[in-house]
Amino acid sequence: MKYAYFPGCVSRGGCPELNQATKLICQRLDIELQEMPRASCTGAGVLQEKNQFLGDTLNARTFALAEGLGLPILTICSTCQGVMGQANRRMKNDPEYLAKINVSLAEEGLEYKGTAQPKHLLWILIEDYGLDKLLEQVTRPLNGARLAPFYGCYLVRPPDALDFEENPSRQDSLERLIEALGATLVDFAGKSRCCGFPILTINEKNSVAMVAKHTSEVKDLGADAMVTPCPLCHLNLDGYQPKAAKQARRPIDMPIIHLPQLVGMAMGISARDLGLQRHIINTKPLITKLGVAAG
Amino acid sequence: MLEHDVLVIGAGLAGMRAAIAAQTGGANTAIISKVHPVRSHSNAAQGGINAALTDRGDEWEEHAYDTVKGSDYLADQDAIEVMCKSAGQALIDMEHMGVTFNRDDEGRLGTRAFGGQRRARTFFVGDFTGQALLHVMFEQLVKSGIRSYEEWFVTSLIEEDGQVCGVMALEIRTGKMHAIRAKALIFCTGGLGRAFEPSTNALIVTGDGISLAYNAGARLMDMEMVQYHPTTLAGSGVLISEAARGEGAYLLDKNGERFMEAYAPNMMELASRDVVSRSEQTEINNGNGENGCMFLDCRHLGEALIMEKLSQIREIGIDLAGVDMIKEPIPIRPGMHYMMGGIKTDVDGLTNVPGIYAAGECACVSVHGGNRLGANSLLDTIVFGQRAGDHAAAATRSKEFVNFDGSAAVKKEEGRIQQILDRPQNDDRVANIRLGMGQTLNNNLAVYRNQTGMEDTLRSLGGLRERYAHVPVDNKGAVFNTDLIFSLELGFMLDCAETITVSALDRKDSRGAQARTDYPDRDDENWMKHIVTNKGEEGPEISYLPVSITQWTPEVRSY
Amino acid sequence: MDVTLNIRRFDPGVPQPESYWQSFDVSIEDNGTVLDALIKIREDTDGTLSLRCSCRSSICGSCAVRINGHAGLACKLQASAVMGDDNVITVEPAGVMPVVKDLVVDFEPFWEKIRAVKPYLQPQGLEPESEYIASNESMLHLSSVTACIMCGACVSDCTVLEVDPTFLGPAALAKAYRFTADPRDGDTDGVSKERLQDLTQATGMWDCTRCTECVTACPKGVAPMDRIMALRDQAIAAGLTNSNGARHAEVFGELVGHSGRLDELKLPVKTVGMFNIPAMLGFLPVGIRALIHGKMPSPIHKNIEGVEGFRRLYKKAEEAGEE
Repeated sequence: MKYAYFPGCVSRGGCPELNQATKLICQRLDIELQEMPRASCTGAGVLQEKNQFLGDTLNARTFALAEGLGLPILTICSTCQGVMGQANRRMKNDPEYLAKINVSLAEEGLEYKGTAQPKHLLWILIEDYGLDKLLEQVTRPLNGARLAPFYGCYLVRPPDALDFEENPSRQDSLERLIEALGATLVDFAGKSRCCGFPILTINEKNSVAMVAKHTSEVKDLGADAMVTPCPLCHLNLDGYQPKAAKQARRPIDMPIIHLPQLVGMAMGISARDLGLQRHIINTKPLITKLGVAAG
Repeated sequence: MLEHDVLVIGAGLAGMRAAIAAQTGGANTAIISKVHPVRSHSNAAQGGINAALTDRGDEWEEHAYDTVKGSDYLADQDAIEVMCKSAGQALIDMEHMGVTFNRDDEGRLGTRAFGGQRRARTFFVGDFTGQALLHVMFEQLVKSGIRSYEEWFVTSLIEEDGQVCGVMALEIRTGKMHAIRAKALIFCTGGLGRAFEPSTNALIVTGDGISLAYNAGARLMDMEMVQYHPTTLAGSGVLISEAARGEGAYLLDKNGERFMEAYAPNMMELASRDVVSRSEQTEINNGNGENGCMFLDCRHLGEALIMEKLSQIREIGIDLAGVDMIKEPIPIRPGMHYMMGGIKTDVDGLTNVPGIYAAGECACVSVHGGNRLGANSLLDTIVFGQRAGDHAAAATRSKEFVNFDGSAAVKKEEGRIQQILDRPQNDDRVANIRLGMGQTLNNNLAVYRNQTGMEDTLRSLGGLRERYAHVPVDNKGAVFNTDLIFSLELGFMLDCAETITVSALDRKDSRGAQARTDYPDRDDENWMKHIVTNKGEEGPEISYLPVSITQWTPEVRSY
Repeated sequence: MDVTLNIRRFDPGVPQPESYWQSFDVSIEDNGTVLDALIKIREDTDGTLSLRCSCRSSICGSCAVRINGHAGLACKLQASAVMGDDNVITVEPAGVMPVVKDLVVDFEPFWEKIRAVKPYLQPQGLEPESEYIASNESMLHLSSVTACIMCGACVSDCTVLEVDPTFLGPAALAKAYRFTADPRDGDTDGVSKERLQDLTQATGMWDCTRCTECVTACPKGVAPMDRIMALRDQAIAAGLTNSNGARHAEVFGELVGHSGRLDELKLPVKTVGMFNIPAMLGFLPVGIRALIHGKMPSPIHKNIEGVEGFRRLYKKAEEAGEE
């Protein structure tokens, strides 16, 4: 199995442990990742807000690069996945639009033929790799851990950009993965809501209130940690949780675990190798509870 | 006590238009509605609004003639003249308020064809014209600052010294009873569709104002004229707009044949509604339908047109019947849709009871006579709503409030309501009585009628009324007690059902929406007249009024 | 068809009222809607169940409730499409708005926000004698927004309103857009600058997180979030760029256009403005924590490979997109 690797900006910047953990588990699972050093930001929906054509062109460019490699794209960011999916849908539904975009791509001698299939690691693990096969690699089931899912908006909405109709099982993929790895699922309505990150610099109070709401809700449900396939959610839920706790005037201390860290722990990889020490919210209680090697 | 010069009851298009007019006319005005204004049933008008614009080469007389003919010559021509002359300005006013009417290639208001009219004069917003107009009128209501009692339910009228001087109203949110004093009441409460089962009408359409006015001595007119719309959806019975046929859709029988040729060779699917509904019913009775339905075929209109102009009915077909009209014909049948009759008014909304006005579907001016043309109802609401508001404002200027003891009135009404709440449980339910009424009306007062069937209905209604006097309500609480409201609404509907049946039995000819198998012909010599009902000691009493004929002599009607 | 409705109920009439779940088994037609089932319960089984409903055909906007956790019109959703394998459907009152009784919520906060956007056409020029001349395209575009039936489904599921009741919210902002986009509203060029000015204030257009909940919840395809994005566009085009939101959008583009990647260090700084000392200090604790944990983005921001070609392409696409 080989993919064109699209880690997204945040896993190279604010969440380097995500990049690290992804590479590690993929190596162990024999999933080959081909770097795309020329690939750019997806626009994260922000660029699209201002100039959708521009945003879509950047993604078409990345798709064209992947086509050049002859590989499907693996993303590790809900936002990247969603933004790419939306762009791809627009281009696939409208050949004229794609043709117009290709005029811009010609500037770099590129052309997007419309065949790219960006896919999040979460879906790849379940749909391409297979849960059964994954379980064969599990050496330390996460028995006893109570884990809450947190998807990130772009991995749940809008459904047509995520091909939910063709792949209905994507809608509860994270819950199924958590349970398959042996943990107890802490389900809650907030799992598909917004983490607040997009308005962090615009209305910090609201953004942080969202962090407080979700993290304290799962705290009250007795969760040991929250698992997210989105580094932007992670940045907010983890990085701004101390502020959230202050604003909500209550202790929270809810570790926010990246998806590949979850898988890595079950595969017996050490906490240090997975970068769990790099989180703002202390992951040690979780590590201890699970008996994960510190590193 | 709450007090207003003019109190408009009902906040659909007619009501809001009336309130805005009355306020503009200087009256202290309020509007009261059992639902929020934008929930009103004007929403459900889909196809459009008629107007003859002279700068399009159309003439109001042409529109008026089509309306007169559509009414099967039962409508009052003087009233039709008023409506059709005012239509152009009313339409432009709505556009200036912000309605997003579809345009033609020059950017002017676009038109579509509609039933029973020889030229396209129906202006529209996709297939949700009523909603578009209603929301814009609500915007104007917000702008006006008029006091709006939302989710307040009028339970009865207050009379003092034989004079109507206010209403009793239940604040649904709290269950609190209020007396509101007013110099003039304008009823804009809409039709009575839920008296029939099925009906295209919303669940709130329960004849409240018609019954309240009737019980206060107002005369009802043309109550036998109940419109069955030709295209209501199989199953749920919701409306599929005439706009579909206006845009060129076909009506097909089970073999895929366009059967309208035999009934209306010139206008085909766009004959007037009574004609098309009868044709369909005849075909269904002759076994040419499927599961009691005929088919509306839009496929040849193409996806682009459907998505631009008929998208909402397409959605309804998919949601409620699982049929996509882009791909398949939709199963439809005639279904109860509109009440031509109602509270008898003049062209200014005045009734025979001083201080009571009416406008919109609950009123009978009469501009629709035996059969209303599609897209004339929205027009009716705006034109006559405005006129009633204007007149009421002027009339109340020199009028004093009638004094009465508000707290005594509240106490009395609370006592009446408490009696209903205190009824002991029995095996009966409000819903069962309503269903019985709806079914008997739909069996015997539908497209085809006869003496035996209607007599049977009248007997049934008597029995239902007896049950109604004892029917319990489950909910004894104060807050948002819809159970209680349904019970009160059922009483209103039973009054309406009775006057409909009595009027229809009285009319011994076939005209407009009334097609009697035992009197199959129109009999102008004896029945070119309005049937009027008013409340007597023993139930409805019948009298007659002449039809106003100004310039269009009754002729044989064919399409 | 047999279906079980699990309904979240609330009766304010009892001492110390609390919401509770009640389950009803009901038999409806195979293509019956959730509303059909609710009405059947109310009519045949339990008249104390309160809900708003009227038209049964997705036009009056009365019956928005949460079905299986998400807002929608009970009259639009076929029961068979939303029930699980066990034939169970959960029905709750709409979110965000306070519950009055059972499935009835208090809409007053909703209407208050609609009123706050001055929801009526305000042309500055003289009215023409006849209709305004406008393209069919422009009217069709507006009609896709005026198709809003004010059911409140978008508000129910709005993630911002959940934490901040002062946010104008998707319905009111879409309503506002209906005017700012109307060629008849505002000055003679159809620009509604005053409205846009008001809407750029706190609690307005820039507070939306773009979570897309409202787009998914809307039963009429109004896509409120897309209208909010269009409002932001209009505001920037009208020169209303002095807000964190507008700067955020501008700076984001600048940074990506320069290096091909987002520079996470510069984005917040540039968004609030370098001289916005309180806001800058606010970032400090978070930054220090990040630094300690080895999470701080590298101060030396790397460009993507071949960034020169990328910059040319970016510029070209930017211009093409603005046309």
